[in-house]
Amino acid sequence: METRKPTHERDTEDHRREGIASPVEGFNERGKKAVQDRELHDAVELFTNKSVAVRNAALHALPDAPELRERAYHIKQQTMANLDEYLAQMADAVEARGGNVFFADDGEDVTRYIGELARRRGARIITKSKSMATEEIELNRRLEEDYADLDLEIVETDLGEWIAQLSGDTPSHIIGPILHLNLRQITEILSEAAGEKLPPDVEALTKFARERLREKFLAADIGITGANFGVAETGTIATVTNEGNGRLVATVPSVHVVVMGIEKLVPRFEDLSTFVQLLARSATGQKLSVYTNFVTGPRGEGELDGAEEFHLILLDNGRSNLLGTEFEEALYCIRCGACLNVCPVYRQTGGHAYGSTYSGPIGAVITPLLKGDEEAKDLPHASSLCGACSEACPVGIPLHELLLKLRSRQVDEGLAGKAQEIAFKGFETTMKSPALYNISTKTGRAVQKPLTKDGSVRPLPGPLGGWTKSRDLPPLAEKSFRELWKDGLRDG
Amino acid sequence: MADRAEFLESIRHRTRAGKYQPTRAPDTAWTPGGSRKERAPIEDPPERFLEELELLGGHGKKVETLSEARDYVLSLARERNAKLLVRWDVEELEALGVDELLEEAGIEVVIWRDLEDFREVAASADIGVTTAEWAVAETGSLMLVGGPGKGRSVTLLPSVHVAVVPVNRVLGTVPEAIGKYSDGEVPANLCFHTGPSRTGDIEMTLSIGVHGPGEVHVVLVERSDAT
Amino acid sequence: MKAALFIPCYVDQIYPEVGVSTVRVLRKLGVDVIYPEGQTCCGQPAFNSGFLDEARGVARHFLDVFEKESFDYTVCPSGSCTTMVSHYYPFIFEGSTEERRAEVLAPRVRELSDFIVNVLGVTDLGARYEGKAVFHCGCHQRRELGVLNEPQELLGEVEGLDLLDWENEELCCGFGGTFSVKMPDVSTAMADEKIKALEKSGADTLISGDSSCLMQLAGRLWRTGHDTRVLHLAQVLDSEGSA
Repeated sequence: METRKPTHERDTEDHRREGIASPVEGFNERGKKAVQDRELHDAVELFTNKSVAVRNAALHALPDAPELRERAYHIKQQTMANLDEYLAQMADAVEARGGNVFFADDGEDVTRYIGELARRRGARIITKSKSMATEEIELNRRLEEDYADLDLEIVETDLGEWIAQLSGDTPSHIIGPILHLNLRQITEILSEAAGEKLPPDVEALTKFARERLREKFLAADIGITGANFGVAETGTIATVTNEGNGRLVATVPSVHVVVMGIEKLVPRFEDLSTFVQLLARSATGQKLSVYTNFVTGPRGEGELDGAEEFHLILLDNGRSNLLGTEFEEALYCIRCGACLNVCPVYRQTGGHAYGSTYSGPIGAVITPLLKGDEEAKDLPHASSLCGACSEACPVGIPLHELLLKLRSRQVDEGLAGKAQEIAFKGFETTMKSPALYNISTKTGRAVQKPLTKDGSVRPLPGPLGGWTKSRDLPPLAEKSFRELWKDGLRDG
Repeated sequence: MADRAEFLESIRHRTRAGKYQPTRAPDTAWTPGGSRKERAPIEDPPERFLEELELLGGHGKKVETLSEARDYVLSLARERNAKLLVRWDVEELEALGVDELLEEAGIEVVIWRDLEDFREVAASADIGVTTAEWAVAETGSLMLVGGPGKGRSVTLLPSVHVAVVPVNRVLGTVPEAIGKYSDGEVPANLCFHTGPSRTGDIEMTLSIGVHGPGEVHVVLVERSDAT
Repeated sequence: MKAALFIPCYVDQIYPEVGVSTVRVLRKLGVDVIYPEGQTCCGQPAFNSGFLDEARGVARHFLDVFEKESFDYTVCPSGSCTTMVSHYYPFIFEGSTEERRAEVLAPRVRELSDFIVNVLGVTDLGARYEGKAVFHCGCHQRRELGVLNEPQELLGEVEGLDLLDWENEELCCGFGGTFSVKMPDVSTAMADEKIKALEKSGADTLISGDSSCLMQLAGRLWRTGHDTRVLHLAQVLDSEGSA
């Protein structure tokens, strides 16, 4: 029997706190801190377990879900292959409906456009509905800094985003921005905003948020939303929210600005049917998000509400670098968060450990693609390559294969480091030669002798120290399989 | 600042010059895969709609005539101690004939036309009454189309939203509803409302009515021509 | 039926008894077992770390070794190493002269339970093992190979074995090859989540078709003072009574 379970008393102390220096320090260091934070762990566990369960149920209940996924993949593939044409079509459609279109290379372009718009309109209050694209370019901070003279008040209106904004925090999950905070922490943050002590009660806190944000919705001069999807054929912007903030931000202020990543396009209005179903079911396990809102241009003739001015900003910010490359599929993402929820790494660390607007597997893929490999060297390694992400993705992005490709790109770019280069050269040389393989076996056995105690290898220095600090390491067997084979196993 | 022509040209260059052409369909198995279940046909769409709406925390009722629908709206307004009710300026709600009765009960009715300040009205109303373009049985959704007389705010700002919908507007599925616009002729606003406003942002605890209406009522009317 | 054994390097060096059980089980089923001499490693560590050239070097050696022999199937007691050859060799050799070689070999490389159930058509091996066990399916085996039910079918026939459900059984153990040493803290936390679920299940035995997952989980189990029995699937199928 295998079970080399040593018979003596084991050291059961957790040595993880010491950790090791590693070539992937950023994530490793933050991840190490995260796994020691029990409150964070419990919060992430609660969120991810529940999200996975409701998602599975919602997709099981939709018999044509696999077909929808395949269709979504092909629609996105077609979109990316002809993105320039679809973008032009979308821009024309929006303009034909009386909207304005602006093409932005980066966050600076977006900031300048919105800043100047705010100046022209004499705007003071801007309401925003959850938008990852504006998080990515840090729009709020930039506007406040670059247009300080306008004294803008920019208010996030998604409850979670607002709480994050109040506490100077950033979202840690695409769908559950403050899942890392518990009721006690949230009560503190909102009490401070209220200027009085609020009870730690979800209903009461929500009511406070409703009242406070209601004032902002009504007073806002400009509303900024992201876009879940943009339709080339009609110029329609689809946004989904459950609270209703997205629809309010797009309805009440006189000016509506949409900041949309260029990859959010779909060709036809009818394609929305595929995507809104997949998004709601994958993200929150709902059949449809509560407010699935399709806005096409400014308000129509004779309408009393809806924005008078409509601006669509199409943002590149590095996305076009992926077009025509082996990483193009990363642009298919619909930001449902399903890959985060199933990711065993995310489940341990939460989102902030990734150090990026986008966390989890999709974050580990697109952060280096948008920012450059040097900027996010550690992220492609923040995965055990288990493939749960690829399996969960509702549009079929082969996420774990993209992580592999990113690792390989780092090696090609010489970013893997000398130590690894030497190690894997040595690995290849050894494994290509049975003679060397046998020698290294013998050497290994000789070296491990003084290091082995009670049937397992003592804590080691060097890279293997990462293993031995928290886990037992079995020693090499006295006889390898090949030796046993030669010694008689061959003959039965 | 990016120029449209340059911006698009750079994208054209990248897509056309790119060597990588992903052609395969997603090849990883998908977790909901496994044994395929047939989509259960929706035998009685209005019934299913009401069931789904209840599951979402909304309130639904099927009535025979417009006068029953009128009673529903009237008694709801009374029960909620409403002071101000705002409604769409559409034929269906004219035919409902509830305005006078409401006024008699001391409830002010504002019709969505020629308003000085729509924000003020919609925000101070206790109840918003509308109809709906379509209702979707599978999801319990209303499909609301904006337009003259059909304010978007009426469905959003009051904490109670009531929709009076002829039963023949209940469709089966979301694709059917979106398919109504497959010719690409879309109104300036079109929105699915699927139950009351909600959030789970605090510890995944469901909280109802965060920004939009916390109460949603849908009255399906069998014979909307008859009172 | 002639099968060429593919014994992964860490099984060869650390867990030779898993290889021995594999041989015994296959022989019991009347399979003619050969062991191609000179085999070393499939190259996965280099591949997973992005060192594709180095992985290709090792993979070429693998192809050379196995092409020398004649056999019906290659059988491997590891879902992960099987995947490297059957799924990722064609990928790393795409467009090169070895692509064809890889594609010829790929469908004939089978994970042990896949081979027994789907090629030989057998589920009852007459094994006997007393214990309450949970089965951990390695991620490659689950997702790339789709060989999830086969081990359960085989274990379902083992007399005396009570196979239990456990929470979030689809979660990765946290091994992930070099991930386990590059990100040791997160990797260990992942193992802890599995161990928590194992404790909750009430199992006294942990079984897997991948010794690498077992090395991770056993390493953590023992460091934290557990005395769970840890066995490879081949060893359970090779059991005849006392545990």
